[in-house]
Amino acid sequence: MVKVCVIVPCYNEEQVVKKVLQDIKAHFKEVICVDDGSSDNSGNEIIKSGATLIEHPINLGAGAAIQTGIDYALQDPDVKLFITIDADGQHNIKDAVAMVEYLQRHNLDIVFGSRFIGNVESIHPIKKMFLKIAALFSTTTTGVKLTDPHIGLRVFNRKFAENLKLSLPDFTHASEVIHRIKEGDYKYDEVPVTVTYSDYSKAKGQPMINAINITVDLLINRITKK
Amino acid sequence: MILIQIFLIVGFLVLLVWLITNPSSYQMRALTKIFAILFFIIAIITVIFPDTTNDIAHWFGVARGADLLLYILTMAFIFGMFSSYIQEKRLQKRIVILARKIAIIETDQRNIDKSK
Repeated sequence: MVKVCVIVPCYNEEQVVKKVLQDIKAHFKEVICVDDGSSDNSGNEIIKSGATLIEHPINLGAGAAIQTGIDYALQDPDVKLFITIDADGQHNIKDAVAMVEYLQRHNLDIVFGSRFIGNVESIHPIKKMFLKIAALFSTTTTGVKLTDPHIGLRVFNRKFAENLKLSLPDFTHASEVIHRIKEGDYKYDEVPVTVTYSDYSKAKGQPMINAINITVDLLINRITKK
Repeated sequence: MILIQIFLIVGFLVLLVWLITNPSSYQMRALTKIFAILFFIIAIITVIFPDTTNDIAHWFGVARGADLLLYILTMAFIFGMFSSYIQEKRLQKRIVILARKIAIIETDQRNIDKSK
């Protein structure tokens, strides 16, 4: 079996992160959790879980945390596959196992989870509508056809990881991943997954008004990049 | 179209195109210095000869010197905002790289300590 590394960006998740990481560890040996400058006790919880802790000295954003995890994981030349997953427990690690298998069977570069061809539990209807509009926007502007491009659960190979180089630190990174697929003409697909919005993750989710920030940042980044 | 309209539109467009093409910090700093020097020269001239602003304004097709000052100020303000925005983004990227390096070094150190 190839060496898989799971990368978990974490920001102030002390209540759940240990359990989430332990669940992941039951399926994958290599688990890297990037504590993105949490002000709570997340760091200690991560160490207790047995996962590798990488601690940002200051808060940089989810995209930066994922990139740090990838940079660290790439130091080990044996790591062939990378998984990103959220630290708040909204994803099920068993879905990631199925995604790894799917990627290998179909010889793909990257596989996304999709809550919209899969299951999504207790999602707010406005959030659902919002995510669908965002997906439509992403598909029409990039041509990369995905029903749920903003999901945190992805599996990709080493070639994709080496070329990812996320430069937008915050939540805009999801769109950056999509752009990378388009630029590099990578083979991608999606697999149905279950996303569970617990009361905890609902309380923590990013405010939808942030979509304005994401859109503007993306536009500026695309214009100013040579 | 009166001269000031052409002047303002061209000015805005040049500024916009230049800012979009991602100027280097050298260019940015140099331009800021040119602006600053021009500002002082013009400021001293207008203090000594207050009526010159009106004359220049009339030449541009603007009714009053104060209006011309406002237009120039607006352009300078927009330039200042954009350039500090670009500088901030640039700084942010450097901080990310720096913080990432620190984080990875710390983790490597922890691993070394553990294996001892």
